[in-house]
Amino acid sequence: MRNMKKALYSIFIASLFFIAGNVNAQCNSEQYTNTCIPKLATGFNFLKSYKIDGQGGSKTKVEYSYVFTKGTQYMINVCATGESTDGIIVSLFDSNRNQVASSKINNQFISAIAYPCNTTGIYYIQYTFDNSTEFCGGSALGFKR
Amino acid sequence: MRILALVMAVFIFACNSSKKPDEQAFLESLDSTTVEGPAISEEVISSIIQQIPSPLEISVLLKESGTKYDKGFLNSADNLSKYNSNYRKSLNLGIYGTDLGYTNIYEQNQDGLDYMATIKELADGLSIGQFFDIETIGRLATNSKNLDSLLLITTQNFNNINHYLQEQNRANLSVLLLTGGWLEAMHITCQVASKNPDNNELRETIGEQKIILENIVLLLSFYQEVDQNMASLLEDMQKLQAEYENVEIVTTYKESTFEIVDGVMVIKDNSSSEIKITNENVSSISALISSIRKKVIS
Repeated sequence: MRNMKKALYSIFIASLFFIAGNVNAQCNSEQYTNTCIPKLATGFNFLKSYKIDGQGGSKTKVEYSYVFTKGTQYMINVCATGESTDGIIVSLFDSNRNQVASSKINNQFISAIAYPCNTTGIYYIQYTFDNSTEFCGGSALGFKR
Repeated sequence: MRILALVMAVFIFACNSSKKPDEQAFLESLDSTTVEGPAISEEVISSIIQQIPSPLEISVLLKESGTKYDKGFLNSADNLSKYNSNYRKSLNLGIYGTDLGYTNIYEQNQDGLDYMATIKELADGLSIGQFFDIETIGRLATNSKNLDSLLLITTQNFNNINHYLQEQNRANLSVLLLTGGWLEAMHITCQVASKNPDNNELRETIGEQKIILENIVLLLSFYQEVDQNMASLLEDMQKLQAEYENVEIVTTYKESTFEIVDGVMVIKDNSSSEIKITNENVSSISALISSIRKKVIS
């Protein structure tokens, strides 16, 4: 009985450490989406905010989709720890999965993409990680005519 | 053993304490007739819901195309008392949400405040009123310099509601809210288009809604077996979809190019889409939209 108590106590302590570890590793995307919304360029109206949670690296991509309309200009930006995008790349694909844009160019990570849409349809907004440290960020989508 | 019981007690307490009073009230207010869920996962439903564009985009298009504000297009706030089920509340919350966006874009502050009060009451009826800070919105609405903040806050409020409803496994209400919002945006566009038959941009906007309608029909179809009201709305939307069979969207793909301007990657979209729609198509679509909307708001 005494050994059982000891074992249960050990499990209890270990589970506390596990919970604490997970809490520390949790991605607070909201702080980054809140940073990104005011960074949309002047004239753009806010549409959506997107959480980018790579779950500490266990997820390789995070994807959302939205119907873009011909004649409208869209802006997607990325915010992460510090001033950089922390290795987060945003790529845009059209409804046939043709790549329209990728924010990594010549080993440089661009934090905002402007897309004057000429083709109405569903677009896929994909976030991937390239040497990211936190695998955590936020993004905002805006539009203007 | 006592330690194990203590651990379990801590976990049970933690689970129970996460249920906020608002959530409790919301769960209690749900229609008793919609107990069963759809046959498809909430995750799939959420992924389709998020694709549907904001009705605000259409309001901006209408203003930019030079058309005048017309309150007569909108659903009167006086109709509020007619909406007494969660089904009707959710649909009309979407409708009033589009009306609010339209009044905001045209900087019709007093009308906007009337709609805000109506929206708050409907949202309270669905136990989601906590998402509207009516004092802040009222303050912003008194000065046209605050338009950007006003649009931002109202868009965020509706986004938060949709997110919350999906988290609560009540995505059916979110589907209705978005359907109502889309229906009203379509109604306003059709009304404006009928007064400006030569406006090609408006005609094309109506035509390209074929893509969004496909999503709405798909979303409603998930609930047709478990919710009679949604099944009936689906039937109406399918009639509209049949009319849209006459509209053709032709897309030509060409690889895009880009340039970096002030640290922003500016894409040049070399693809194009052509929307083939006639004035007769617009008239038929417009008539169907009016008939569906009449059922929803009456």
